[in-house]
This record gives sequence, C-alpha cells and structure tokens, in this order.
Amino acid sequence: MTELLHRMIRKPQGAIGLALLVVLAAVCILGPWLAPYGPEKMDFLGRFRAPGWQNWLGADQFGRDVLSRLLSGARATVPLALAATLAGSAIGAVIGVASAYLGGKSDEAIMRTNDAVMAIPGLLMALLLVSTLGNGAGNAVVAIALAFAPGMARVTRSVALAVRNQDYVKAAVARGEAAPHVIFREMLPNVMGPIIIEATIRVSFAVMLFATLSFLGLGAQPPASEWGLMVADARQYMHRAPWILIAPSAAIALSAIAFNLVGDALRDALNPRDDR
Amino acid sequence: MTAALSITNYGLDYVTPAGAIPVLRDVSLAIAPGEVLGLVGESGSGKSSLAWALMRHLPANAREISGSLRLGDIDLQALGPKRLTEVRGRRIGMVFQDPSTALNPTLTIGRQMTEALMRHRALNHGDARSLAVELLGHVELRDPAAVLRRYPHEISGGEKQRVIIATAFGCRPDVILFDEPTTALDVITGARIIDLFGRLRAETGVAALYISHDLAMMTRVADRVAVIRHGCVVEQASASEIFRKPQHDYTKSLIAAVPRPERRLVHDMPGSDVLLEARGIEVHYGRRGLFRAALPPATQAVDVDIRAGEIVGLVGESGSGKSSMARALIGLARFSGAISFDGRTLHGAGDMNRAYRRDVQIVFQHPDSSLNPRHRVGDILSRPLKLYGGDPSSVPRLLEQVRLPASYATRWPHQLSGGEKQRVAIARAFAARPRLVICDEITAPLDVSVQAQIVELLLALRAETGTAYLFITHDLNLIRQIAHRIVVMRHGQLVDSRAVDAFSSEDVHPYTRELMAASPVPVG
Amino acid sequence: MSLAWLLRRLLLMIYTVAVVCVLVFAITQALPADAAQTLLGENASPEALAAVRARLGLDDPVWLQFIHWVRHAVSGNFGVSMRTGLPVAPEMLTALSRSLLLAAGSLALTLLIAVPLGMFAALRQGRVADTATSVIAYLGVSLPEFVTATVLALLLTDVLPWLPATGYVSPLEDPALALRHLVLPVLTVSVILVAHVMRMMRSETLDVLQSDYVRAARLKGLPERTVLVRHVMRNALLPVITIVALDVGYLLGGIIVIEEIFAIPGIGRALMIAITTRDLPSIQAGAMIMAVTYAITNTLADVVYALLDRRIRYD
Repeated sequence: MTELLHRMIRKPQGAIGLALLVVLAAVCILGPWLAPYGPEKMDFLGRFRAPGWQNWLGADQFGRDVLSRLLSGARATVPLALAATLAGSAIGAVIGVASAYLGGKSDEAIMRTNDAVMAIPGLLMALLLVSTLGNGAGNAVVAIALAFAPGMARVTRSVALAVRNQDYVKAAVARGEAAPHVIFREMLPNVMGPIIIEATIRVSFAVMLFATLSFLGLGAQPPASEWGLMVADARQYMHRAPWILIAPSAAIALSAIAFNLVGDALRDALNPRDDR
Repeated sequence: MTAALSITNYGLDYVTPAGAIPVLRDVSLAIAPGEVLGLVGESGSGKSSLAWALMRHLPANAREISGSLRLGDIDLQALGPKRLTEVRGRRIGMVFQDPSTALNPTLTIGRQMTEALMRHRALNHGDARSLAVELLGHVELRDPAAVLRRYPHEISGGEKQRVIIATAFGCRPDVILFDEPTTALDVITGARIIDLFGRLRAETGVAALYISHDLAMMTRVADRVAVIRHGCVVEQASASEIFRKPQHDYTKSLIAAVPRPERRLVHDMPGSDVLLEARGIEVHYGRRGLFRAALPPATQAVDVDIRAGEIVGLVGESGSGKSSMARALIGLARFSGAISFDGRTLHGAGDMNRAYRRDVQIVFQHPDSSLNPRHRVGDILSRPLKLYGGDPSSVPRLLEQVRLPASYATRWPHQLSGGEKQRVAIARAFAARPRLVICDEITAPLDVSVQAQIVELLLALRAETGTAYLFITHDLNLIRQIAHRIVVMRHGQLVDSRAVDAFSSEDVHPYTRELMAASPVPVG
Repeated sequence: MSLAWLLRRLLLMIYTVAVVCVLVFAITQALPADAAQTLLGENASPEALAAVRARLGLDDPVWLQFIHWVRHAVSGNFGVSMRTGLPVAPEMLTALSRSLLLAAGSLALTLLIAVPLGMFAALRQGRVADTATSVIAYLGVSLPEFVTATVLALLLTDVLPWLPATGYVSPLEDPALALRHLVLPVLTVSVILVAHVMRMMRSETLDVLQSDYVRAARLKGLPERTVLVRHVMRNALLPVITIVALDVGYLLGGIIVIEEIFAIPGIGRALMIAITTRDLPSIQAGAMIMAVTYAITNTLADVVYALLDRRIRYD
C-alpha cells in the first residue's frame, strides 16, 4: 500500500492529483467550519462585491459569500458523485463478472443487451430517469448510478475475461477448485485493480454529470449551494460579476481533474510496463 | 583487405534511474566481405543490443562508452540523420526475429517492397514492381505478382520472412544483420529459410552477422562463431571447431546443454500397465452461431496410450492440435471420445472426479501467466496440498524437491526468474503426488542452459515418484533424449506413433522424416 | 468483410434499437404524468378525462400499449405533442437536422485540430510541447459542457462583439449569419471532443511508433517523413475512427446542454422542453431518435473500419 503511494507520487501528475484529493476531502469534511460566513447569509449592502478582504472570492447577487457557499457546497457535490460512482460500479461489476463467468451464449446475450443500453447517451439516460423519479439530489444519484452501470459492466467483463484466460486460473479449474475459490481467490484480486482505476476516473464524470443535472434544474434545488446550481444562478450576471461564475466552475474542474489525475496515476503505478 | 564490418572495443550502457547498467563491454568483432559471423548468446547477453547499435537504432537511454563501429569505410557512429537513411537498407540491411510484426498490417506486400527498392535502387514504380516480382520468384514464392497484391495477414509466417529477406537482398547491401530469423517460425519452415539463406549468400557474396541462441544451428549457417555472455565476447572460433574444441567454460556448458538424440538421458523401461488410454479424442472450440459455422474440431479422432511411469513425447508444429490434446486431458476443453484412466471411463470434463484431477496434473508453457501474481509462492503451493489432503507444512519440502530454497515460500512470483517460476509451477503439480504430469511446451520460452536444468529436474522427480509424463514439444532432438515413445501430430491428426529407438528406421512417416531433417544435430 | 458479418452487424443494430424501444417506453411509462390531465388541464371533468384516456388507449394493459406504440413508431408516428398538438415526429426530425449541423461542424473541427495535435504531442513525448498539450487536454476533459460554454461566452463575446451569444439562424436563409451563430456552440463542443480525441491519437501514435513494423520501415532506410505519413499516421488513425464514433454518444448528450445554453432549437433543446413539460410523446420520439442516430453512426463506423483495416477477420 505505501509502495503504491510512493509509485503514484513519483510523477508530478500523481502528486498533484493526490494533493488535490486531500484538499477536497478536507473541504468536504470540514467545509462548514472553515467557511467565514453562513452559506445562505445574505448581505444586501455587499451585493456583487468583488473579491477582496471581506469576501475572498467575492459575493453574489444576494450578497452571499462565494467562498462560504463553495466550501459548504462541496458536500452537496463530491460525496454524491462518489456515491453514484460506487453504486454504478458495483452494479456494473456484478453484471460484468457474472457475464464473463457464465460465458458462451449467456455472456453474448448479456453483453449485446448491455451495449444496446449504452446507445442511450449517459446524460440523456440520467435526464430520463430523473424526470421519472422526480427532481432532487437523491434521485440524481440514482440516475447517474444507473447511467454508469453499463459502461462499468463492459470494462469489468473485458478485464475478467482476460484474467479468466490466464494459466493460473486454468490451473485452478483443472485441479478441481470450486467456483467460489476460482472467482474470489484467483480472479477477483487481479480484476480489482483495473476496476478501481476505471471507477476513479469515472468519479470525475460523475462530478460533472451531477453538476450538469443541477445546472439544468433537475438535480440539487435552490437555495442549495451545489456547484452546478451556483454556475446556473451566476450565468445571468456573468458580465457584471464574473467571479460568481468562475469560482464554482473552477471548483468543478479541479475536482474532476483531481480524480482524473489520481486515476491515471493509479493506472501507471499498477501497470508493470512502466518499470522499463 | 578491409573488413566489411568491424566492431572495435565497443562498450554500451543503458542509463536507468538506479544507475548505468552495462550492456556490452569491450566487444571486438570483424566480418570479412562475404563472410558470415554467427553471434551466439542467451537472453540478456546483449546480442540484440549490438544489432541495434549497428543499425543506429538505440533507445534514448543508451550511452556508447567506448569503441567504434565501422561499415567498410563508413564510421557508423558519425552518421547524421540524412546520411543514415542512405546507409540503412542500402549498405546494411536487417532481417527481423518476428516476420508477423515486422510488416505493416495495413499496406500491401508490394507497397512495402517497392518503397525500399525505389529508394535504394533509384527505380521508378513500374521497374521496382517488376524487380519485386523477380526477387520474390527468387526466394521461391509461388505466383509473386499475386503475393504483391496481398496484405501481410493473407500470407503465412514463412512467406512473410521470405518477403523480408527478398527486400533486404534486393537493395544489394554489403552486410545483412539476421536477428534470430527462424525463432518465431515452425521447425520445418525455419529449416527452409536457413537453406534459402545459404543459397542467397553463395549467389550474392553478402557478408552477414547472424544472431541466434541456437549453437547447433549456427554451425550450419556461419563460417565463424562468436559466443557472447553478459555483454562480453568470451570465445571466437571457426564453426567447425567450436563444437569439437570449445575453449571457454561457458561455451562448454552451452554445448553440453544442446540436446542430442544419441545421448539418452533415460535408461529404464516403463511398466506394462496402461495408465491412461484416450480413444477418438476430438476437441471442439466455439459453437455454431447465427450466420457463423462451428469451427472444425482442433483434433481429429486422436488415440493416445500412456503407461505407468512412461515418458510419452507429443511432437508437432503450431496448430497441430498438440496443446488441444493437453487441454482435453485435464478437462479445460470440450471433447468427444473417451478417456480411460485407472479403470474408469470418462466422456467429458464433467466425469473428471477429484481423484482423476489429483492424478493428472499440468505444467503450462508460460511461467509468467501460470502463477497468480497476487499469491505468494507458499500460498500457491499449499493450495493443492489442502485440496488433495496433503500436509500444508510440507511446502519447504516441495521447494527443496525442485531445488529452490525454503525461503522462497514468502516471495511473490514477480520476484522470481523465468526458470524459477517454472520450478514453482512444477512443484505445484507435484504437490498433488500425481501419476501423470502433462508438460505443455514448458521448456520453449527458456534459455538452453535453463532448459537443460529443468529437464534434469523433471527426470529426477520421476526417479523419485515414478510419475509418467506427457511431454508436449516441438523440439524433436530434446524429446528423443528422454521419451520412451513419441507421437507425432500434424493438422489435428496423429501421423506417427512409435518407440523412440524405432525412429531411425525406414518406415517412419514422411512428415516425421521431414521433422527430423529440419532438426539438425550440430556439425562436428 | 463478409456478407455474413455485415448481416450480423445489421441484426445487432436492430437489436439495439429494439432494446432502446423497451427502455424508453418503460422509463416514460413510469413517468408521474397523466397524459389526459396534461392535455386537458387541471379543471377537466372526470368524464372528459375518461374519454381522452379511452381515445389514447391509456386504459389498455401496458403490453398492449407498448405494441401499439411500437407499431406506430415503426411507421414514424410518435403521436401528437401534448404541448402543441402537432405531430411529434416531423418536429423532432427538423430539430435533429439543426443539431446534426452543429454536430458535423464540431466533428470536422475536432478532427482537424485533434489528429495533428495528437501526433505532434506523441512525437514530442515528454517534452514541453507534449506536457502543455496534455495539460490543456486534461482541462478539456475535466470541464463540463456548461462550464466551457459559459466561460467561452464570457471570454469571447467581449473580444469579438459581433458574435451572437445565443440563437439560431437557418443556413438556407442567411449563411453568413448562420455561421456566426454556430461559432460559439461549435467551439464549445469541440473543446471537449478535441481533448478526448487528441489524447487517444497521442496514445495510439505512441503505440504505433513502438511497433516492430515502424522500426522495420526506419531500418529499411526510409526518410522520416515517409515513415510518419505512410506507416505511423495511417495505423494510428484506424482505432481513432471507433473512438470518434463512440464520442458521438457524448456529443449527443452534450448537445442537450449546449443547445439549452445557446438557445438552439435542436433535438437536445426540444428534449429538455419535453422533459420539463412532461410531454410524453415528444420525450419518446426525441430519445428514440437520439439512440437510433447513435446506433447508425456506430454501425457505419464499424463498416468503415472493416473496409480500411483488412486485418480483421470476421468469423
């Protein structure tokens, strides 16, 4: 584990990604305590106040402190994106492993159907599901999880198939090991790495997708300080007070970049090709 | 007379974050015009790095620390990028190890031949094409004009190597480097490529540096042989001398490791009880699908008998169905036919009970993929012990049996060398105390000296336990040293099956005879 | 490429469409919207509601409704919009044509920029130019469409005041004005796609550069330019075709946001309006059209790939 960490921070990309992730985690946990003001505290004298000593990142159309809203909004964005990815990956992993293990006709049927479901773009699927389930952050999580599952199923299956064809799995089958041993002891430890990498990178998509849903008015609802919602609110004032727009945009981008970087660093660290 | 190619005191390092790794040290070799110098070494000896250095195609972290490389009057190290493209191909050509990857898969053969000929022979497209037809005819390809229109995947591996050789010779270079040109090919195809090389060099008088790991083959190809080890040339001698009077200890050990059929390593006779009797085995892969016919069976009604304690060699080229037989016998492939073992008759993998699976074990070809990278050696070995009711504390004894220190139990597979991994795989098979072990090309990826040690180990284990072996290989010389009986397969069919001492008789199958002719024993 | 392979590929496409039919119908059926209520408004009498339900077949069992729906959908009839009362399909197809203009423009721009840039980055691997393009590509894939769109609009409308911020003009009416309206949306879509395609092109090029056949081409004495154009680019481009086809999925999803932001009356915006007003037939038609477009693009990409890459044996 520590060896893995060392390999990840060997390259600057990995170190930056991990650092961003630590900051993000700190903000999610401690955000409301770090915030100088309450996220919904209005100050009509301070409307559209430019960034300065009073409001480090400026104030919005109601005079609310942008930094405070960002800090408390992290909780409304990142953990939900994580939860959605986790759920989606779990569903996808079960489908993928089952398909690879069953093999033959069932594998073909499952994967053809899975590919067909992927013909509906992720955002459209999420939109359709949210419109069915109703607006709201919780429903958005469910929608994103379901929209992610087919992609994860495809990745998991291809990894599982590759592992299944390794001689050590064949050796286990040939010596008469029971199915649970083959799956959990021989295959799973080797399948986990690629799945974790893929899921990490997908968290960044989830962050973006979640923000997009909120932006379109289907995810988190006002007056929540969810980042996508903040961008949506700020758009009409963008020429008057660009900082209200830029701060949450940067927050979304940085979170997405953090997960992307860490995912790529994990891939490099786990990939023996890099040792050359 | 100046040498066609001369290497003087050449030294090369690869620079890594951990420091410089020496690759070549003080290498001095000279090749006279028209001479063929064989360079023999095992993997990691630096022989390929020397070829890349001569072609000026070194990786970015390579550092040339001493010496010079000269091609006739050209100083290769001083060439700029532009001059280099005029020398490569035109003055010094190269033939690669794996013809299947050395041709661009999306361009026709014709395009890939003419682009070199047009550049180095100053021809227009039409003339280059007719020259290409002539050259392909000269390397004994049928219907050369049609071959030019094909893509690489539409011709066989041997044909691809002929195309590459024809292109290399067609540019009329002074020197050609051959980097293991037959290693990736089947035995018979490789032997024909060597015959072709002999004819072409006699006709053209080209000088060549011929790199190989196969000392026996080298004595037929080269005029002189140089032996390289850990980046140093340890011995140079004429090809006819080196086998008769090796000077250096390393050369001696290499020669001792070369398999020779007349030097039998097994002297006992097997028992008379039949242990395993396979009848009419047909192995099937894949099923019929929509708009898709089922694949033909990989083996066609093959019969094999193995007696208790017997070593049976199963010989064939790639695609002969020999590995499919192994998969059927251990229940990894769907098959029709019947296997009788120990009085029980099995009609499929479902009939294989625990006793059968314990008695019949397999060792796979690739040591890298046969050990689970997430399990320690100790876990890998204790698993069959637990499964078949052995004593888990006998892991150290198993390691000792395969001549590995007991401390290896705590190691991960990636911490072992290829030969050591193969020993662990063998120990895993013997943990079950089997009566039959199937060895599927287990020596193919290993160096000759390691190969000899593995064979010795297998024979020692057999002496201890009385196990029978089904030894699958393409190396006829090796199997004639150890097998009691040899079965030859071709295109999924069994063509020959006879006791090893009946192999030199007149009535062997023509294909068997061809195989034997293509597996030459060393000259001298 | 064999006929049997082509047949199987087409069959797969039909299967995809069938699965999408079931999914779209299942999801929209569960929508908490009473079609009759939406049509007649809040104050409709129970009798009128019942009459409309009977006319629309809303009282039939679900499977029967599905069969009716599929039968109509196959002939291009998705019913009438609950919002406007007009047939849905023609309206959605017109909207699609506008979106396709946007999509085609973005794809063309993307390929024009991403392919050379990706190759360039690969050839400069590890140097400043490579790092710089990698950083930009990272930014591109880490910014959601709505952020890119807003930031680009913020930056460009100040510098280039003649760029209209929103709206759509048909190129048949006023080509010049239509083009100006397309600049911002096309740029926005391209930022994301360029980042993605460029990263793929870079890694494919790196793979090809390390291949034995490129080494062989160099050692034959071919000039570097010939090696790059004839041997490297061709082979690196092939897998990118498939990637671009898969990106059409992203593109279609992204278009929903882009059209919403730039007020382009394309299929994405039509879908958003349908979703917010719970206009069932429009949602169904829009989702189906998007999925079918995606299925067709992917099939086409597979066929093109098979024609270009003779290696693949389809058996």
